[in-house]
Amino acid sequence: MSDVSEVDPLITDTADRLFSQVCDHESIQKAEADGQASDIWSAFADTGFPWISISEESGGSGGTLLDALEVLRLVGYHAAPIPAAETGILGGWLMSKAGLELPSGIVTVLPNGSQGLAVERTGDRLTISGRGLRVPWARVAETIVVPLEIDGQTFAAAIDSSECQISRMTNMAGEPRDTVDFENVDVFAAVLPSEINLETFRFRGALSRTALMAGAIEKMSQLTVSYTNDRVQFGRPVAKFQAVQQHLVWGAQDAALARMAAESAGREANRGPALFEIAAAKLIANQAAARATKACHQAHGAMGMTQEYPLHHLSRRLWSWRKEYGGDAEWSSWLGRVAVAQDADGLYPLITGGSAVLS
Amino acid sequence: MNNRLSEETTDMRFTPTELTKQELELQGEVRDFLLEELPPGSHEPCLGMAARKNKEFSLKMADRGWVGMALPTEWGGSDRTAVDRFIVVEEMLRWGAPVGHHWVADRQTGNVILKFGTEEQRERFLPAICRGELGFSIGMSEPDSGSDLASVSTKAEATTGGWIINGTKIWTSGAHENDWFVCLLRTSPLEDGNKHAGLSQFLIDLKSPGLEISPIPFLDGSHHFNEVTFNEVFVPETNVVGDLGMGWHQNTTEMAYERGGPDRWLSPFSTVEQLLREARGTDLEPVVSDLFGELIARWWGIRNLSLSVARLIDTGEAPSVESSLVKEMGTRFEQEVIEKLVHLIDLEYSPDSDSLFERLLAQCVVTFPGNTIRGGTIEILRSVASKGLKGLPA
Repeated sequence: MSDVSEVDPLITDTADRLFSQVCDHESIQKAEADGQASDIWSAFADTGFPWISISEESGGSGGTLLDALEVLRLVGYHAAPIPAAETGILGGWLMSKAGLELPSGIVTVLPNGSQGLAVERTGDRLTISGRGLRVPWARVAETIVVPLEIDGQTFAAAIDSSECQISRMTNMAGEPRDTVDFENVDVFAAVLPSEINLETFRFRGALSRTALMAGAIEKMSQLTVSYTNDRVQFGRPVAKFQAVQQHLVWGAQDAALARMAAESAGREANRGPALFEIAAAKLIANQAAARATKACHQAHGAMGMTQEYPLHHLSRRLWSWRKEYGGDAEWSSWLGRVAVAQDADGLYPLITGGSAVLS
Repeated sequence: MNNRLSEETTDMRFTPTELTKQELELQGEVRDFLLEELPPGSHEPCLGMAARKNKEFSLKMADRGWVGMALPTEWGGSDRTAVDRFIVVEEMLRWGAPVGHHWVADRQTGNVILKFGTEEQRERFLPAICRGELGFSIGMSEPDSGSDLASVSTKAEATTGGWIINGTKIWTSGAHENDWFVCLLRTSPLEDGNKHAGLSQFLIDLKSPGLEISPIPFLDGSHHFNEVTFNEVFVPETNVVGDLGMGWHQNTTEMAYERGGPDRWLSPFSTVEQLLREARGTDLEPVVSDLFGELIARWWGIRNLSLSVARLIDTGEAPSVESSLVKEMGTRFEQEVIEKLVHLIDLEYSPDSDSLFERLLAQCVVTFPGNTIRGGTIEILRSVASKGLKGLPA
C-alpha cells in the first residue's frame, strides 16, 4: 500500500515517459490545426491516466488526488493538448460523486455550472435550455456534465453531447473552448454529497489549472535556460550576460513558486477543505505566469515569437489558463475578504495555518 | 519538446513540507511568549532584521533556549533543528520584536565558530552566545571592496603571539554597541588569478586599542552603520578562526546561513498588519481589501519555499542556489509590498505621525532600498543562482 500523502513516483515516471513519446512539437502543432489530438488522447486513455483518483468501484483507476494532480502537472509540462482535467478530477469526479456511471470516452464540464442556463424541474426530470460558454473540448466529448443548484441542493447532470449544439471556439493556445447550446434537453440529475457545491467546484477547477500551470512554467523556464546557453552573441552564450541572467533567475523563481503553491494546495486538498490554499495557489500561479512568460519571451528574442519554436505552446497556454477558473481579480478579492475578516491579530496565523484556521 | 523530465537533472528542488505537532507546539509557545512580553499596541514594532537592540529581551529569549538554539547542547545550545529556528525567527520578525542584539550571533557567527573554530574558541564564545550575552558585527565590506568581496585589502601581519591589523572596514552595523567583530582579512598578498586565496577570518574585540569606530548616519538619521579603522591593532593568535587562507571558503559557508530565511521576506509585515489594525471598523475600499488578498497569498507561497529550504538544511544539504533564489525574490517582494501600499493609500505619511501605520510606512519607504543590497546585492545573487540553473533534461 503506497503512502496516500505522497505522489506515487511510478506515476511521474510513467506519465513523463508517455508524453515524451507522443507529445512533441509537431504533434502539438498538428492538434491545434486539427482541433483535437486523438492519437495523444488514445495513448493517454489506454493507460487509465484520465481516471486516476476516481475509485475503481465508480469505474475509475483509483489512486489519490495528489496522483491526479501530478499527471496534470506533466500534462502542463509537456503542453499535452488533451482534456485530462475535464475527464478526470472535474467532470469525472462530479459524475462519480453523484453515483453516475462513467463513460469510456471524454467527459467535459461547464466551467460556470448552470450559470446562464434555464433549468426546469418536473418531478425527478430536468429540462435544460440556454448556452454554456468556453466549454473545454466539448467538440470531442462524449458526455457534458453540468453542475447545478436547485433549492439549496447541488446536482450533477450528465448530458450526451449529441443532444447539444456545439460551436467551435478556442482559447489563445488554440485549445477547444466551445460554445454549447442546450434546447429543452431532458436530463437526469443526480444529487451530489453536501460538501460539493458550485463554489467548491470552482475551487477544484482552479486547483486543476494551478497544477497545469506549474508544469508549464517549469518547462518554459528550463527551455529558456537551454536556449540562452546555446545562443551565442558577442562571442559567448547570451546566458553569460547579467542582463539575461536576470530573466533566467526570475523565470526559475516563478517556476519554483508556482510549483510549491500548486503542490502545497494539492496536499491540503487531498486531506480536506483547502479553500485558502487553492485560492492563494491560483493567484500565485496567475501572477507567476504573467511574470515568467514576459521574462522567458524576452530572453528568447525573436525566436520566441515564431510558431516554429516551441515556447509558444507553453506561453499561450499560460496566458489562457491564467484566466480560466478565476483570474487575478476574482482570487485576490476572495482572499482579501478572508484576510480582512481575520482582523490584524489573525492575519499571520492565517498565512501559517491556512484553511485549518478558517474551519 | 520531447525531452524527459527527471529528478537527476532538475537539481533545484523545493519540496513542500509542513510543521509537525512538536513544531506547531513551539510556534504556540513563541506566540504566547510574545503576547506576554510585547502585547500588540505596547511596542513600536521593528522592521524585520534591522531590529532594535534590547539585551534584556535577548536574555529572556535565551532563557527559553531560543538563542543559538541550533547549536549542540554541550556548548549551551538546544540542539534544535533549522526548522525550529525558522519558527522562532519567523514569529519574532512578524511581531516586530527587538532581536537586534543577538541577531548576527544567532544567525551565523555561532555556526561559523562551531564549524571552523578551535575547541577553546567554542568554549569561550558559544555558551555566551546561547545565553544571549554577546553581540557580533560582521567585517566584510571595505571602502574599495563591496560586491567584489575577494578584493578586500585590510591586512593582518604576523607578529609575536598574534597578528597586527591595518586597514578599514565599512558599513559595519552595530559596531558601536557590539562586543565582537568577525572580520575577513588578507593574511597573504593578493596573487594574480587567485584572489580567493590568502584570506582568513578573525575574531576581534571591538574594544581593542587602535580600533576606531566612527558613525555613518543611516538614511533615516539613525545610527546603524559605522566605519571601523584598524591602526596597528593587535589580535592574539587564538582569535584566528579556522585555517589560515581558508577565509573565503568559510565566508561563503557563512553566507549560506544568512540567505533565504524569514528575515528576507517579512520586513514589511508589521506595517501591513498595522494598516489592518488601524482600519478596524471602517469599510475598506475593495482595492485595499484585494491588496491584502494578494499579499497574504504571496507571503504564503514564499514562506513555503523558505521553510522548505530550512527543511533541506536539516537533511544536511547546503542549498545555496535555492536560498539565493529565495532571498532575491523575497527582498524584491518586500519592496513591492511597500510600493503597493504607497500607491493605494493616499496619505502624506510622516515619521512623526500619530498613526503607527504612517510612521512604519515612512520608515519602510526610506530604509527598504537597502533590503536588496545588504548581505549580497540582488545582482550578485542572480549571478550565484543562475550558475545553478539547469536547462532541459537531456
